[in-house]
Amino acid sequence: MSSGTLADLKRPRVAVTGLGAVTGFGWGMAALEAGLASGRTAIAPLTRFDATAYPTRIAAEAPAAPAAVRRVTGWGAMSLADRYAVAAAREAAAASGLPFDASTGEGAGVFFGGSTGGLYECERVYESHRRGRLARAPRGPIRRHLVQRPAEAVARLLGADGPVETVCSACASGTLAIGAAIDALRRGEVKVAFAGGADSLARVTYGGFNSLRAVDASPCRPFRADRAGMSLGEGAGVLVLERLDDARRRGAAILAECAGAGASADAHHMTAPRPDGEGAARAITRALDEAGRPPSEVALINTHGTGTPLNDRAEFAALRRALGAVASDVPLAVTKGSVGHVLGGAGAVEAVATVLAIARQRLQPAPGGGAIDPETPVRLAQEARAEKVGAALSINLGFGGVNAALCVAHPGETA
Amino acid sequence: MIAVTGLGTVSASGAGRAALLADLMRGTPRLTEIPAAEGWRPEGGARRAGLVDPAVVAEALRGRDTRRMSPPSRFAIAAAGQALAEAGLLRGETIDPETAVVAASVFGPASFTTRLFDQILDEGPAAASPMLFSECVANAAVAQVNVAAGAGGPSFALAQGEAGPLRAVARGASEIEAGRARRAIAGAVEELPPVVHAFLDRLGALARPPRNEAAGERGRPFDRRRDGYHAAEGATFLVLENEDEAVRRGAAIRARVLGGFSAFDATAPAGGWGRGAAPLARALGRGLERLGLAPERIDLIVSGASGSRHGDRLEAQVLRAAWGARPLPPIVTPKAVTGEYGGAFLAAAILAVEERGAWDASWYAESDEACGLAPHQGPIPGDARTMLVTSLAAGGSASWLVLERP
Repeated sequence: MSSGTLADLKRPRVAVTGLGAVTGFGWGMAALEAGLASGRTAIAPLTRFDATAYPTRIAAEAPAAPAAVRRVTGWGAMSLADRYAVAAAREAAAASGLPFDASTGEGAGVFFGGSTGGLYECERVYESHRRGRLARAPRGPIRRHLVQRPAEAVARLLGADGPVETVCSACASGTLAIGAAIDALRRGEVKVAFAGGADSLARVTYGGFNSLRAVDASPCRPFRADRAGMSLGEGAGVLVLERLDDARRRGAAILAECAGAGASADAHHMTAPRPDGEGAARAITRALDEAGRPPSEVALINTHGTGTPLNDRAEFAALRRALGAVASDVPLAVTKGSVGHVLGGAGAVEAVATVLAIARQRLQPAPGGGAIDPETPVRLAQEARAEKVGAALSINLGFGGVNAALCVAHPGETA
Repeated sequence: MIAVTGLGTVSASGAGRAALLADLMRGTPRLTEIPAAEGWRPEGGARRAGLVDPAVVAEALRGRDTRRMSPPSRFAIAAAGQALAEAGLLRGETIDPETAVVAASVFGPASFTTRLFDQILDEGPAAASPMLFSECVANAAVAQVNVAAGAGGPSFALAQGEAGPLRAVARGASEIEAGRARRAIAGAVEELPPVVHAFLDRLGALARPPRNEAAGERGRPFDRRRDGYHAAEGATFLVLENEDEAVRRGAAIRARVLGGFSAFDATAPAGGWGRGAAPLARALGRGLERLGLAPERIDLIVSGASGSRHGDRLEAQVLRAAWGARPLPPIVTPKAVTGEYGGAFLAAAILAVEERGAWDASWYAESDEACGLAPHQGPIPGDARTMLVTSLAAGGSASWLVLERP
C-alpha cells in the first residue's frame, strides 16, 4: 500500500467546512446551538414507544421532522436513523457551500458511526411477524435495518462514488468514523468526506441499558456527585471535511481544523472501563501527538461524560493520566447532559458541538447544577460565555473498552 | 509493505485452513438443515446453510471460559487465536498497545439481540438480561478479541455489507502504515441464526430448493441457472504486519497486501443492486492505477460472486468494463463453496495466494450471456503472482484488495 508514517499523515491538514445536526433539541444546527447555549436539557419523558414497563422513562427524543426537511426523495421509506443522517448531511453540505448532489458526490466518501440503523422499525416488523408469520412481513424495514444503511442513504442521495464506511464500535463509533475520514482525506482517497453518525431510540437498546442499571431515572448529570447513570438520546451529527488547502482555494469558511485523531482499546472487560484510565489515556495522547499539541494547549475537553459513576471516574483517571493538571483546570463540556447519549452517533454530535465551541469561541454550559464529585475534581462549563478556545479534545469511550479521541483546533491557531 | 503472517478461520468446513482448502478443492459446500423447530423456516423457502459445527468451536476454545459469549464472539476468538498462533504471536502477560483489531460483520450478534427482544416482548423489559445485552453490541466480537489477545491498539467493528471483510483488511493495513499500530488482527465474523436466514429468504436472496433442486440449493456464481446464494457463518482473521519487521522476527510471509480501495454505486437501492457498472469499473481502474498496476498485471481474480442473480451480473459487468478489450485473467469464485459469508471468502483469497491447488468448479454448467464470463476450471496457475480480490455489496458498496505472492 502507499507508504506513509504518522508524521507524513499529519499533512495535508483537514478542515471542517460544514456542520449539520438532528438532536433532541430539534432538526438543525440552530436548534442545537440554542439548546446548548441555554443550559437546558432535551431529556424529557419518552413518547416514541410505551415505556411504562421500563425501569426509566425518559430520553432525548428528536421531535417530528419539519415539512421542509421531509422534502427528500424516498423519505417515506427511510428509517428514523436514515432520516436523521440525511437531514444532517444536507444541512452540513449547505453550510459548507457544497451542493448536495453528484457534483459534490464525485470523489466524496461517507464515514459514519452507528449502532442501531433501522433497528426501531425492524423491531416492529419482528414483533408482528415473529416466526411463522415472517413470510408476509414487509421487506422494506428488513432491507433497511442494517447499521450501514444511514451512511448509504446519505451516499445515495449525494451521488457519492467514494468509500462508504460505517464504524459500529459502540459509543466510540462516531469519533472513530471521523478519524477514518481524516485518514482518507490525507491519503487522497477522497476529496470531500461526510463524517458523522446517526442512531435512533429503540426498545432493544433502551431495555438493554436499563438491564445494566446504567440509566438514571432523571436527566443524566455527568461528573456531579449525585449522578446515577446515563440518559439515552437519538439524532445525528455530520461534519463536512476537506483538505484545508482545497477548502481555502474554493473560498469556504473554515470552522475548525481536525488536527489529530487517536484510538485504543482497554483489552480489559466488555462493559467496565479500565479503572486506571490507561487505555483511554493512550487514545488522548495519540490524538494530541498527531495534532502536534502539548496538553497545555488544550482549552476545552468535550468528555464522553455518560453520568454513570464508574465511567466518569475512569474517564477522569484517563484525563489525569494523559493531561495532568489540565484535566482539572480547563472547562469540560458534557454534551450528553443536554442531548442524551446518541450511542453510535454520540461522537459525531459531540464533535459537532466541539467545533461549534471553537467556531463561536464560546462555552456550552452543563445543564443542571449540584456539587462536583470530589473523586472527579473537574471544572464543568457553567455558563454560555466567550472563551478563547484554541484547541479542544472530543473524547468517546465505548462498550468493550473502545476509546477514541479527536483534537480539533481553531483555524487561526494552527501552524 | 504490509505482509500477512497468519490466517485463522472457522467455517462450515471446520476449523483451520486445511479444512477449508479441502472443501474448495472438492467443490462442494457443507450445508446443514436450518432447524425447523424454532418456527422461522417458511414453507417452500430456503432450507439449508453453511453452519459452523459447535463442537469444532468448542474444541478450538478448549480451556477458555466463553460460556456467556455470543456465537460471533466465540467464532472470532477461535479464529483470531489460530491466526496469532500461525503468526507465532501468542498472548503475553501484558497488553500490547500496538496491536489493532478490525473486523467486519453484516448482521452482528443477531441471535443474542433477538433473544433479548423476545425477553422484552414476552416477559417485559424488567426481564431483559444484562448478560445478553453486553453481547448484543455490534462490536462485541471485536472487543472480545481485544481482551483475549491482549490487543490494546485501535479497535474497529465495520459494516459495509459483503464488501466489509476486504475493507477491514485495508483498514488494518492503514492503521499499520499510519504508525498507529505495529500489527493488526483483521478479518470478518458472521453468525447465521434462523431469523437471519429467514430474513434473507424473505428478501429473495437465497437459493431455494423448488427452483433449484438439481443444483442442490447452493450458490452457483455466474451460472445461468443461479437463483441466489447459500448463506453461511464463521470467522476469519489475518495477522498483518510490516514485512520488514515480520522477516526480522523470523515469521513466514504468507501474502503481501499491495493495497485496498473502496467505492460506492449510488444507483443501488437500499439493500439492492444498482446499475453502476461503469463508475465502479472506473473506480477499480483508478484504484489499480494508484498502486501502479495496469489490469494486465493481475494474474488471478478472486471474485465475490455468490450466485446472486443481480449481484453476479454487476460483478461481471464491472470486471469486463475494467478490463475492456484486454483478456480477463482466470477467475475463481470461492463463494460457490463457502457461501455468502465474507470471512471464508477472505480466507479463500489467502489460500489462493499461498496454497493454490485445483478448486473444483464442475458445478458450473451453463454460461450466462449477461455475465459473459465463467469460473476458472483446473488448477490455479502456478505463475499467478498478483491477485485482485473483489467484493460488491447489496446496497451499493464495493471493495477491492490486491494481494501478492511473496
